[in-house]
Amino acid sequence: MSALASLKLTAAALLALAAGVIWAYVERPHSLPALVAPMALLALNLAAAIVVNPKFRRQLPLLVFHVALLILVLLAAAGRLTYLNGRVELAVGEVFTGELLDAQAGPFHRNSLARAAFVNEGFEIDYAPKWKRTETRNLVRWRGPRGEETGIIGDQTPLVLEGYRFYTTSNKGFAPVFVWQPLAGPAQRGSVHLPPYPVLQFAQAVQWTPPGASETVTVKLALDEELIDYERASRFRLPPSHDVEVVHGGKSQALRPGASVELAGGRLRYEGLTTWMGYVVYSDWTLPWLLAAATLAAAALGWHFWRRFAMRPWQEAPAC
Amino acid sequence: MLALPLLWSALLAYVAAGSTAIIAVALERRPERWILLLLLLGVSLHGASLAARWIHVGHGPFITLFEILSSNVFSLTLVFSLAYWRIPAVRPAAAFVAPVLFIMMGWLLVTSPGEGHFPPTYRTLWLYVHVALGKIFLGAVLVAVGLSGMILARLPRGEALEELAFRFMAIGFVFETLMLVSGAIWAQDAWGRYWAWDPLETWAFLTWLSAAAFLHARVAFRLSPRASALMILGVFALAFLTFFGVPFVSTAPHKGAV
Repeated sequence: MSALASLKLTAAALLALAAGVIWAYVERPHSLPALVAPMALLALNLAAAIVVNPKFRRQLPLLVFHVALLILVLLAAAGRLTYLNGRVELAVGEVFTGELLDAQAGPFHRNSLARAAFVNEGFEIDYAPKWKRTETRNLVRWRGPRGEETGIIGDQTPLVLEGYRFYTTSNKGFAPVFVWQPLAGPAQRGSVHLPPYPVLQFAQAVQWTPPGASETVTVKLALDEELIDYERASRFRLPPSHDVEVVHGGKSQALRPGASVELAGGRLRYEGLTTWMGYVVYSDWTLPWLLAAATLAAAALGWHFWRRFAMRPWQEAPAC
Repeated sequence: MLALPLLWSALLAYVAAGSTAIIAVALERRPERWILLLLLLGVSLHGASLAARWIHVGHGPFITLFEILSSNVFSLTLVFSLAYWRIPAVRPAAAFVAPVLFIMMGWLLVTSPGEGHFPPTYRTLWLYVHVALGKIFLGAVLVAVGLSGMILARLPRGEALEELAFRFMAIGFVFETLMLVSGAIWAQDAWGRYWAWDPLETWAFLTWLSAAAFLHARVAFRLSPRASALMILGVFALAFLTFFGVPFVSTAPHKGAV
């Protein structure tokens, strides 16, 4: 037991953890054990030291620091088992229904995204010269405990619903709105998200298949001006005039709002142009507890050294 | 712009202070009052230079390599000057700290002083908290490096110097812990995640581990002053690489300079 509680083992395990971090950093496959094994060894080493070493137990701030570190590691592990990190895009007026474009989640994450419904009500983005994106202000609407609520979110100001945090991103663009009337069945209204703007301003085209149709079309946005001034401070805006082109069967047809195009499976009517915003979604219940444990660890460490150094004044170290 | 002439004047004062400190140790003289006055003159001129640039560009020195080097030369000299003023035993360490600062100043002189874009993720109080904690951490470790230099140069009273160096390392460790915590809070705000093992986070954590290993090894192995001094130099080398190397070679989003 005393061997397991050894400080020499602590120093060795810390170096092993550093080696594990470097191993994981250079993206070696199967690097998780290289991190988990030294952390587990450090946890055992700490537990043994608490049991075996009465001197360690008497130094309350040092004990609190180490226990807080242990809690921090356990919370981080719990967070990895239950977190969610995902991505979604919503056009203006579109409701988030819980469907993500892609997501990573811990094995024990309980999905309640469907209860985190909100509507993208449009955004403003300021640009400094040379297309440097500055502030994003996105108006969102949701149903809260007090009824319908609205708020402004951004890259650093999330919308928090059901424990999920929704942030805006640099990923955004234009979205032509269409009504698709199939040969049989009801009409459907929706939008097609063009590639991000302005980063892909010269590639504003996407392939799309209307719901239930057999024919894939290419939707293009033709812009005849630079919407975000490269030289001066500017703001993201919709083009005052534009053409949306629909390419199908080798033919290209320019559409203005209200115009339609006949496709093999039905009629596609162009309604107008709007924008879409890409959001990141993040959920981790351990965040406030991690902050509490980290703050406690730092405070206890400061307390420990303060007490220790107060015993002998700094000026007592003799000048050479 | 007034900032540059003020900066060059500050660098001249630092060079004068550092050179005097090196000559004083070599000749076993003690012109400590002059060195302190030159350091304070340099810090005052440098502070004025940073303020003038801040007013001119509209943001603090957080963006370009030039700004980061300049603000770190300032903060490191300020922390060292405070230690120099308050703790007489630290004073000969100026001769060992000066070469480190000279290297940074030389690098600063060949760096373009152009302006950079202040990104939206930097518009937060956590920027100031995180950066200030990091600067205190590196400043404390630099004082420990100066004391280690004295130990390795076999100046007298090595054990007392080693205890002093350990104290500065301990202070550095506390502030580095706080720097990592505040950085995680900022990362959560800025990118929606508190930790992602990006290069800067990874190397900052490795620096923290190396400092923790030093503090444990000192007790566990009863290190000699010389071994302790060498370990401190190792921790500082890692911290220096993290502060001034990783942000400028990494292409990850968390570049520090972007």
